[in-house]
Amino acid sequence: MYYLKLGALALFDALVVYWCVLLAWDGQWLFLGLTAAGVLLLNVLVLSRRAYPLRYLAPGLVFLGFMVVYPMAYTIYISFTNYATGYILPKTEVIRLLSERDFPPSPPVRYPFTGYGAPGSLYALYLRGEDQAYVVFPDGRQSSAANHVVEDVDGDGIPEALDGRPRLALGDLLPLVAQLQTLRIPYEGGWLKLATLREFGLYFPQYTYDPATDTLQDNRTGKTYRPQNGRFTAEDGEALDPGWTEFVGLTNYVRFIRDPLYHRAFVRVFAWTVLWSIFSVVFSFALGLALAILLNDRGLRLRKLYRSLLIVPYALPAFISVLIWRAFYNVELGLFNQTLFAWFGIKVPWLANAFWARFSIILTNVWLTYPYMMLVSLGALQSIPGEVYEAAKVDGAGGWQRFTKVTFPLLMVSVAPLLIGSFAFTFNNFTLVWLLTKGEPVVEIGSRAGATDILLSYAYKLAFEGARGNEWSMASALAVVIFVIVILISGISFARTRALEEVSRGL
Amino acid sequence: MAYRGPDFWARRLVRNFLAWVAIAFALFPALFVLGTSLNPSNNLSTTRMIPTNPTAVHYVTLVRDYPFLIWLVNTIKVAGITSVGTVFLCALGAYAFSRFRFRGRRTGLLTLLLVQMFPQTLGMVAIFLLLNSLGKYFPWLGLNTHPGLIFVYLGGAMGFNTWFMKGYFDTIPRSLEESALVDGATPFMAFWRIVLPLARPILAVVLVIQFIGVYSEYLLASILLKGERVYTLAVGLRLFLGDNYRDRWGMFAAGAVLGALLILAVFYSLQSLIVSGLTGGAVKE
Repeated sequence: MYYLKLGALALFDALVVYWCVLLAWDGQWLFLGLTAAGVLLLNVLVLSRRAYPLRYLAPGLVFLGFMVVYPMAYTIYISFTNYATGYILPKTEVIRLLSERDFPPSPPVRYPFTGYGAPGSLYALYLRGEDQAYVVFPDGRQSSAANHVVEDVDGDGIPEALDGRPRLALGDLLPLVAQLQTLRIPYEGGWLKLATLREFGLYFPQYTYDPATDTLQDNRTGKTYRPQNGRFTAEDGEALDPGWTEFVGLTNYVRFIRDPLYHRAFVRVFAWTVLWSIFSVVFSFALGLALAILLNDRGLRLRKLYRSLLIVPYALPAFISVLIWRAFYNVELGLFNQTLFAWFGIKVPWLANAFWARFSIILTNVWLTYPYMMLVSLGALQSIPGEVYEAAKVDGAGGWQRFTKVTFPLLMVSVAPLLIGSFAFTFNNFTLVWLLTKGEPVVEIGSRAGATDILLSYAYKLAFEGARGNEWSMASALAVVIFVIVILISGISFARTRALEEVSRGL
Repeated sequence: MAYRGPDFWARRLVRNFLAWVAIAFALFPALFVLGTSLNPSNNLSTTRMIPTNPTAVHYVTLVRDYPFLIWLVNTIKVAGITSVGTVFLCALGAYAFSRFRFRGRRTGLLTLLLVQMFPQTLGMVAIFLLLNSLGKYFPWLGLNTHPGLIFVYLGGAMGFNTWFMKGYFDTIPRSLEESALVDGATPFMAFWRIVLPLARPILAVVLVIQFIGVYSEYLLASILLKGERVYTLAVGLRLFLGDNYRDRWGMFAAGAVLGALLILAVFYSLQSLIVSGLTGGAVKE
C-alpha cells in the first residue's frame, strides 16, 4: 500500500516537472512558482510523518490563504499605490505602448503591394518600395525581392506570380486585414504598416524613450516628457495616457484628510456610519428586549406561537425583505404614502430626502434585527435565576427598580459582547444600504457619497462606480481604514468579555 | 384555582394586545407581498392585502419570461456546494487543532482568529482582480463563474467555523477514538467513523447557517457575476427594481415569495438548532 502511494506520487511528480518545463518555456513564472509550491507542499504532506496534522489543515488553509489572506495583503498593498483606471499597467509596458505610437510624414509616403498564395492561405506580400521591391511573409519576415522568383509577364511592375504562387484578388485579402495590420516592417528609421488595402504607408515613431535620463522625447514637436505622478508629463503640464502603477506611500490616506473632494465625503460618511450603527443597535435592542420581557411572562399562553411569529423578519432572506421595504417607501405609489394620503392627506418623501432616507433605513434595520436582539435577550433573561428577583422583592424593590437595578445589569453581562458584534456587523451592512437606498439621496453635487452611504458602500462606489473610473487604490485605502476600525471594535469586545479566557483555554 | 383580580386580567389583555401589535409589525411586509403576488394587477399602487380574485398569473410569467428558475437553481447550487465544502474543510481543520499537538498549533489558532476579523467583503477589490487574472488561465475559475464564487465563499467561511467546530470537538471524549486507534484504525478513520458522527449537531448548525448566509449574500456575488444567466437570486431579484417596480411589482412579489419559501422552510424546521447557533456568538449575515 505504502509503495503504491509512493509510486503514484513519483508518477505525478514526473508529470508536474514536465508541465513546469512547459510553463518555463512560456515564461509563466508566476504560475510556475505556484505550481512548484503546491507540489512541494503535496510531497511534504505525503512523505513527512511530522507534517501529518498538516494533511488535515492544508485544504482549508489553501482557500483561506487565497481568498482571505491574499486579498487582505493585496488590499493593503494597493492602498499604497496609485492603481486606478488609467494607471493599471507596469511602467515598462507603458513605455512599450508609447514607443509603438507613430505618425506619418507629411506628405504621406505610400507603397503599393499585392498578395500571393491561395485564397485562405497567404504565402507572402510583394511590396514595391522606392527603388527596390520586398517580399514580406505573414509572420513579419522580409527579404529583398531579388532572392525570390518573380514572374512579371506583362511587365507592368506587378508580378503575376511569386515563387510559383499566383496573385490574390483584392477580395481574398479582406479576411486577412486584422493580421496584416500587425505587421511592422523597419524602413528608413521608421516602419511600414498597412495603410489601405492596396498600400503600405511609412510611419515614424512618435516617442523615443531614453533609459539614461528616464525621459520621453516627442519626435514631432521636440517636447520632453518626464515621469510625474505615474504619467509622462511635459513642462507645460500635458500628460500622456496611459499611466503606470507606482508606489505612492500614504498619499491615498492623506487625500482623505487633505483633498476636499474626498475629505468632506469621508467625514460625512464616517459620521453617518457610526451614528447609524449606534441608532440601529440601540433601537433594535430596545424593541427586542421589550418583546423578550413580554414573552418571558410564563402566564402568556400563546408565547411559543408569538415567538415563532415574531422572528419571521429574521427567517426571511434579508435581500428579499429589503427590496419589499423599498417598494413600500416609494413616494408616489408605495404602501406607506398611499395609506398616509388616504387617511391624512399627506405624503412623506421617504427615500428622496436626506433626513427621511436616514429615518427609513434605520426603521428597516430595526425591523430586520430586533428578532435577533429578542432571541438573545430571551436566552439571557431565562438564565437569570428567580431567587435574585425574590431577594429584590423582599428588599422592597418595585417593578421598575427591579428591572433597572437587577435584570438589566445582569442581562448586559452576557448580551454586551453580542451588541458589540452586532454594531460591527451593522457598520458594514452593505446589503441593506445598497438594496434600500444605494447610499442616496445625493447631498453634494459632484460627490459620489450620498446621505445614507456607509464606509463600505462608499468604498464600493469608488472601486466599481467611481466618477473617475475605477478608483481601486482609494477604495482599498478606505477598506484598510474600515479594517482598522473593525479590529478596534473587536479588540474592545474581546478585552471586555470572557471570550479571551475561553480562547486561551482552547489553546 | 386561586382568585385573580380584575387587575390580573387587564394586564394579561394588555400583554396579548401588545404581542399582536408587534406581530402585525413583523408580518405585514411578508403578508402584503404574498397578497400582491396573487393579485392580478401588476402595479405598485395596488394596496390590497387580500386579493379579491386571486390568480397565479405572476408566478407563471415569472417562470416563463424571466430566468428566475435559473437564478434559484444557481443560488441553491452555490449555497449547497459552499456549505457542504465548508463543513468538510472546517471539520478537517478543527479535528487537527483539537486532537493533534504540533508545532505552530497555537500560532495557527491565533492567526485564524485574527484573520477572521477581516471581513472578506473589504477585500472586494483584490478578490475581483484576483479572479480577473485567474480567469485568464483557468476560465472556469474566473469572473462570472460559479466555481470562482464558491472558492471565494469557501475561503471566507474558514476562520470562524473552524474555531466554532474545534470548540465542539474538544467536548467529545477521546476515549472512543483511542480504543479505535488501539484496534488499528488510522487517525483519519477515527475522524471519519467516530468523531464526525458524534459531531453531527455542530455539522448541521454550520451547514444550515452557511447555506442561509450564502443564499442571501449580495456584495461579492454582485461584483463577481455579470451575466443574467449566472446570477444568484440576490443579484437577479434586484433587476425588478428598475423603474421602481412600476410595471413589474406583481412579478417581483411572486419572486420574493418563491425565493423566501425555501429559507423559511429550512429555518422553521430547524428553528432551535439555528437559533442556538446564531445567538451563540454568530451574527446573521
